[in-house]
Amino acid sequence: MRAIMITELKKNLQDKGLLFWMVILPILFTVLFIAIFTGNTDETTRKQVIVSIIPGYVVMFVFFIIISMVSTFNKDRDKGMTARFASTPLRPYFYMLGKWLPYMFIVFIQIFVLLLFGKIVYNVPLEQPMVLLILSIFLTFTVTAIGLATAVMVKTENMGLAITQIIALGGAMLSGLWIPHDMMPDFMQTISYFLPQFWAHQAFQDAMAGNINYSDLFQTLLILFCIGVAGFVLAIFRYPVFLKRSVT
Amino acid sequence: MLNISNVSKHYEKTKALDDVSFHISKGSCFGLVGPNGAGKSTLMKILASIIHDYTGDVFIDNKILTPEQKEKIGYVPQDICLEEGLSAIGNLSLFGKLYGLTGKKLKLRAIEVLKQINLEKRANDKVSTFSGGMKRRLNIGCSLMHNPDILIMDEATVGIDPQSRNYIFQMINRIKNDGRTIIYASHYIEEVELLCDEVVFIDSGVVVEKGAVNDLLKQYATPSIFIKGTPINLDKMKQYGDVVSKKGGYILSTNEPLQVMENMIAYCREHVIELEQLELVQPRLEDIFFSLTGSELRE
Repeated sequence: MRAIMITELKKNLQDKGLLFWMVILPILFTVLFIAIFTGNTDETTRKQVIVSIIPGYVVMFVFFIIISMVSTFNKDRDKGMTARFASTPLRPYFYMLGKWLPYMFIVFIQIFVLLLFGKIVYNVPLEQPMVLLILSIFLTFTVTAIGLATAVMVKTENMGLAITQIIALGGAMLSGLWIPHDMMPDFMQTISYFLPQFWAHQAFQDAMAGNINYSDLFQTLLILFCIGVAGFVLAIFRYPVFLKRSVT
Repeated sequence: MLNISNVSKHYEKTKALDDVSFHISKGSCFGLVGPNGAGKSTLMKILASIIHDYTGDVFIDNKILTPEQKEKIGYVPQDICLEEGLSAIGNLSLFGKLYGLTGKKLKLRAIEVLKQINLEKRANDKVSTFSGGMKRRLNIGCSLMHNPDILIMDEATVGIDPQSRNYIFQMINRIKNDGRTIIYASHYIEEVELLCDEVVFIDSGVVVEKGAVNDLLKQYATPSIFIKGTPINLDKMKQYGDVVSKKGGYILSTNEPLQVMENMIAYCREHVIELEQLELVQPRLEDIFFSLTGSELRE
């Protein structure tokens, strides 16, 4: 499993496209939207907008890792690599884990870089760093588990790309990552309670401001964990089908 | 060494293998011959423990094939299964690690295999810069990392230049001389004739014939002549022996080929037939396959 994990990590570190999607694009969007929304505002509103946009875009852009996960699993399947690995003593689920773990690392680094960018450039508060760290780990787990499930379920890369857009952009829109949650219509607010983006965004905002309480944190972590586990269970159940597709 | 007993496999409604049984002796180079879609790759994947949902049994050294026996087998897939972003040595190390090799042992083995596949000078180059033939060699090298007793090679020479093909043949002969068992699937029958001692013909998932290459040639090969020209009367030719149409001419099987050739020349002179080709045909496995199945190996 370690060999697969290191190989996957090396491949991803060589991939300049991934760097663009995961770090450069989010930074560009953050800078652009902060400039747009804070153009003619007073200092208090400006700070409020920045504190909402930075965690919002962090949460939105971490979901784009699903594209890379779909791509790598689909390439392995179609090239016959999955079947080739199945001929070795490597257990199939360790192959899946070996492929998954580097994405945990990448997403975690992405969150760290984007928050650090917010701190250095916009001086956003990071009042509860330990809470932010724990939240980042849980969000990373949730996102990559959804990515894993999507990667082993889709038949083509294009299908994966479409699903990622729905999850990332649809989820961002419905979870109040683009506009303040309380300004959204009631039905959208109701839907948002079922989405990981809403919970992660709220918790990140509160932890940055330093006013998250432990029951809220625990609730958020539990929700993120449960969604992640659901993704994992789905991936494990679908994996034999994925392997069969690789063989044929 | 390897016993395949009543193996069948279905893909939804398609029957890929139907009650396939044969034995492979230790140290032999065993050819698996059949046209595309005959079921060779499916059988190879069963032997490599990639496909598990089949009926029947596969035995290695009288023990039923289990995932634990994967260490005895090296599998060279038809596809080039390499990590393009890694170097040659990186790919060899990856596969070595999957078989439990580590540290110095892994390094030494990777260098040894690089020598075997003649890629020492490109050891640290990325695979994405390699030619098709080099990738094929590395594909074989990855399956040799753990020193397997049995090497399964599925269409290992598809799409490569003659030079690389010859190099792979030399490699196979070296592996054979090491006493390892090779299972070689190909639809290039001349490769099988050149490399293998034993052969099994598969068509539409069914074993149509099996045995030692020389025995099969003796058993089935009737002397025959190939005739091509215009116009040739097929009915007239039938008086000289069995006739089948092939490669734009006719194959005439007869026990007296020289006599028939003489008669054919006389016949062509008499009927003013423009003779393009008239030759004595050496018996080939391809002809045996054709006579058994009525279909060509390459369409």
